[in-house]
Amino acid sequence: MKALTVLAADEFKAPGLELFDLPPIIPGVTWFTKPVLLALLSSIVVIAFCWSAFANPKLVPRGIQNIGEYGYMFVRDQVARPFLGKDADRWMGLLLSLFFLVWIWNLMGVVPFLQFPIASHIAFPIVLAVSVYVLKIYLGMKHQGGLGYFKNMMFPPGLPKPIYVLLAPIEFLSNMIVAPFTHAVRLFANMFAGHIILAFFSAVGFWFLFEQLTPLGAPVGVVAVIMTIAMTAFEMFIQFLQAFLFALLAAMYIGGSLHAEH
Amino acid sequence: MSILAEVTGNIGSIGYGLATLGPGIGVGLIFGNGLQAIARQPETYGLIRQNMLLGFVLVEALALIGLVAPFIY
Amino acid sequence: MPAMSEQERRPESDGRDFANAAWSVPSYILSGIILYGGGGWLLSRWTGVAVFTPIGVIVGVVLAIYLVYRKYGR
Repeated sequence: MKALTVLAADEFKAPGLELFDLPPIIPGVTWFTKPVLLALLSSIVVIAFCWSAFANPKLVPRGIQNIGEYGYMFVRDQVARPFLGKDADRWMGLLLSLFFLVWIWNLMGVVPFLQFPIASHIAFPIVLAVSVYVLKIYLGMKHQGGLGYFKNMMFPPGLPKPIYVLLAPIEFLSNMIVAPFTHAVRLFANMFAGHIILAFFSAVGFWFLFEQLTPLGAPVGVVAVIMTIAMTAFEMFIQFLQAFLFALLAAMYIGGSLHAEH
Repeated sequence: MSILAEVTGNIGSIGYGLATLGPGIGVGLIFGNGLQAIARQPETYGLIRQNMLLGFVLVEALALIGLVAPFIY
Repeated sequence: MPAMSEQERRPESDGRDFANAAWSVPSYILSGIILYGGGGWLLSRWTGVAVFTPIGVIVGVVLAIYLVYRKYGR
């Protein structure tokens, strides 16, 4: 908002990429910007929530343990069990942490006064996606043998032999390069676009209702405020969905390397 | 002859935006009808799933060609 | 008895197979386009004839569709 009000020009200027350039909070410590602070805050929130929910579990859950158990069962039944089958309980720690962390990251985009979705700086999704990617390769090589992993991946059984030459590079590229790339970029692009949409509609509403109030412009401002509310609701749904998809794809990749594709 | 109106910027992104119309409708039709068919006859789920997937891959190919086309030309 | 256990097991493994297939479809098509389209682009740079790039893209798309069909369509 500061970037817009300082202009005080006659024409409305839509917010652009300067939304994502945030200055350091403590002058002198250049790496400690608002996204870093929010990321640390999200980690503390997730750790505190899981600790208070699961540290002293009672047989009949009350309060926070109830909510924690809802979340745990959601992740276990929708994300872990379909892809990991019997091993689901071993991987629940990772998948639960991924789901809650990404969801709290995304939620920071709609919390008033914080309002920055952390996944819209591409470094954060890249780190998570690369960790899952390294884990996937390590598990695949451990469970199917070093060369066997790539052989099972690139040469699925049941195809005529000469086609293998043409199709094996597609399989390799798709699993090894496109998969982690889309894993990270899907989260990043959704949060980036959502942030720009919310900022745009809020800026339009603020401009036409407060900064340059004109009889013709006021309805535009009202429409923009309504759109902001609607897009915030939609954005909250997308945030949950993207967190769920991130965890689901992580479980799919891990499951794919634990059991060889048949 | 003076220019009355002009669209500037990246034509490729407009092209891709137009290219998502058809596949969007196509995917909606495929999965909508597939869901109806599953609801009518749940025991043929496997057969319907195969055909849905086949239709989806053909439609998605068009969408992704539309994504890549600005980079070719 | 086998039919009943198959009925119980089917929704879960079907869900997983369908999800695997659904997520791999855009991935295969994209990698086919990048791979064979990129190859066609390099070929057209080498020979100077500019038509190899779209041909490579089409070939990549067709191969990716065939791969999905053989792997998940039977």
